[in-house]
Parts: sequence; structure tokens; C-alpha cells
Amino acid sequence: MRLFLGNLLLAFVWSLMIAEFSVASLIMGFAFGFLLLWLFQPLVGGSSYFGKVRQIVRFSLFLAKEIVRANLHVAWHVITPSSFFKPGIIAVPLEPQTDFEATLLANILTLTPGSFSVDISTDRRVLYVHVMDVENAERTRWELKEQYETPLLEILRS
Amino acid sequence: MTLYGYPVVAVVSLLAMNLLVVAIFFAVVRLLRGPSLSDRVVALDLVGVLAVGMISVHAVFTGQPMLLRVAILLALVAFVGTVAFAFFLEKRGRE
Amino acid sequence: MMAHLNDLLVCLFMLAGAIFCLIASLGVFRMPDLYTRMQAAAKSSTLGVVCIILSVAIHFGDAGVTTRAMLVIVFLFLTAPVAAHMVARAGYISNVPLWHRSVADELRGQYDAATHELASGRPSAEDPRG
Repeated sequence: MRLFLGNLLLAFVWSLMIAEFSVASLIMGFAFGFLLLWLFQPLVGGSSYFGKVRQIVRFSLFLAKEIVRANLHVAWHVITPSSFFKPGIIAVPLEPQTDFEATLLANILTLTPGSFSVDISTDRRVLYVHVMDVENAERTRWELKEQYETPLLEILRS
Repeated sequence: MTLYGYPVVAVVSLLAMNLLVVAIFFAVVRLLRGPSLSDRVVALDLVGVLAVGMISVHAVFTGQPMLLRVAILLALVAFVGTVAFAFFLEKRGRE
Repeated sequence: MMAHLNDLLVCLFMLAGAIFCLIASLGVFRMPDLYTRMQAAAKSSTLGVVCIILSVAIHFGDAGVTTRAMLVIVFLFLTAPVAAHMVARAGYISNVPLWHRSVADELRGQYDAATHELASGRPSAEDPRG
């Protein structure tokens, strides 16, 4: 947390130095600040912060790739005749979650290929997901949990 | 950079505008045909989002960054409209 | 050279965005039922408009426009799935049928008709992770 604030401060200082205050300059400042803190790691300590930032960056890149893949998937479904579709609503069991985590997970599932979250049960134990190709319901359930829920909770909770 | 004597960005934004017009056409067909009210709401939401895209393309075409604010406002209004429609549908389903 | 690269990026993002928007609309036009239509609408229209707004940000390139564009992008990524999710839920509650060739509907019978509370009907014993 202390290192995160320091990193934000460095990003702010960077944008003041190059006399341009925008999202792009702040992101660039954050990246340079991160590099600086990483170089001085023996002095500032806190290796968990660096691991976490790396985790977040990796998950974001993964999500960006999945979102593009989701669109190619939709394009493929638009050009194939609908007799090949096997849509269906399946229930995905969830780890116990807060409102924020559940919302984020539902949004991520909606934007990624083939899945679309319809509703979450009132006790937040099960997320009902509409899936475009249900080949094997058990496997789809497991894949959705493994690919999206596990890394998301790892980032949000540790 | 120019293409046939015109700035290439202008040519491409015209092309993109035409693609978006075709897209809005199909969405409006679904809006008119949709078997259930929910289908119409989906189509209407899509028309709103496509209009945001059209305004942004127009901003590039005319070189007016001010138009981006219009796009922000339209995105906000389209979201609130869709949520209101969803509430209405759910209330109606309960009765 | 830099200006050319800028123009190229603007063209690329704008065309990609317009094509994704067209895919979304074609999907909404031809998919067989409400839920498959919403899949197309929620995924493709979001990425399409985000690409177009990114191209606007690259084209103007000044601080105010970039900041505002980032705002719209974050807003779209957060709200488009929420809106789609609400419409799908309302559609299911008001008995919009699934496509007749759908292979599974584990949501059937889980809603309480009066309060719209949703039960979590599946026992977790079927969780394949064991």
C-alpha cells in the first residue's frame, strides 16, 4: 500500500515534469515509477507489491486478448448457420463473494468468449451463465471457474 | 497522408460511417420485428451505442473534439434508458 | 513519419471498430433467440465503440480529449455488461422462451414467482473439482 502510494506520487511528479497532465502521461509516469521502485527494491522492500502489479498486468492483457477473441467468436457465429449452435443456460457454483467481486466477475464473463451472465442467485452461491456452445456442461463450468474466477479472486484477496 | 487527393483519415471515417449506417439499419429491423419487448429493448440499446460510435466518427471527420462530449452524454443516457426499461420489464413480469 | 503512423493507427482502430459494430448488429439481426442476440450485442458493440473512441483519442491526441476518451472507455466496459445482464434477467422473468434447440436450461424453476428471489438449486456436490 505504501509502495502503491509512492508509485502514484512518482506518476504525478512525472506528469508535472513533462508539463502534460493526461491519462497517457500518468500511465507513462506510473510505468517509469514502477521501474524505478523495482530497481531500488533492496532499499524499499515489499516484494508482494511487485508480484501483485505483475499479476494485475498479466490478467489485464489476458482479458484484452479474450475480449478480442470473443468478438471473432461472435463473428464466426454470425456467418455459420444456426443449426450448428448449441446454446444453453448453465449454473456455475461460486466461491463466497462480496458484491464488488461478483459484479466484476459477471462483467468479465459477459465480455469473454461464449459466455454471458444472466443472473446471480440471491444467496450468491451460483451464477447462471448463458453459454453459446454447451459441449459438456461440467467442463464448461470448470473452465469458467478456473480461467476467470480463480485469478480474479487471487488478485482481489491477497 | 492522402488518398486520391483527400486526407486518408477523412476517407476512412466516411467508410466507417457507412458501415455504421448499415449496422443501424439491421438494428432497426430487429427493433421493428422483435417478437418480444425484451428484443426491442436490446435493439434500442444497440442503436444508442451505435449512435455514440457515429458521433465519435463524425468528431474525427469534422475535426471537432467538442463532439466527444456529446458522445459521453449519449452513452450515459442510453445506459440509464436501458436500465429503466429493464426495471419496467421486470415489474411487468411480476404482475 | 510520426504523423503517418498516427494516421495509420487511427484508420486501423476506426475500421476495426466499425466492423465490430456491424458484426454486433448482424448478430442481433440473425441470432435465433433473445439470449444469443444479447451475446452478440453485449460483446461486439462494446469493443466496437471502444475501438472507435480510442481512434478519436489518437487522432486529436491532446490531454483533455484523451482523458475524456479514457473516461468513456472505462464507463462503457463497466456499464454495457450490466445493462445487458439486467435486460436478460428481465427477459427471463417475463418468460421470453429460449431457442427451441437449446441444450440446457438450469435456470428453469429457480425463480420465486412472487418475490423474484433466485434459488441456488444445484448442490455443490456436482462441482467437478471434487
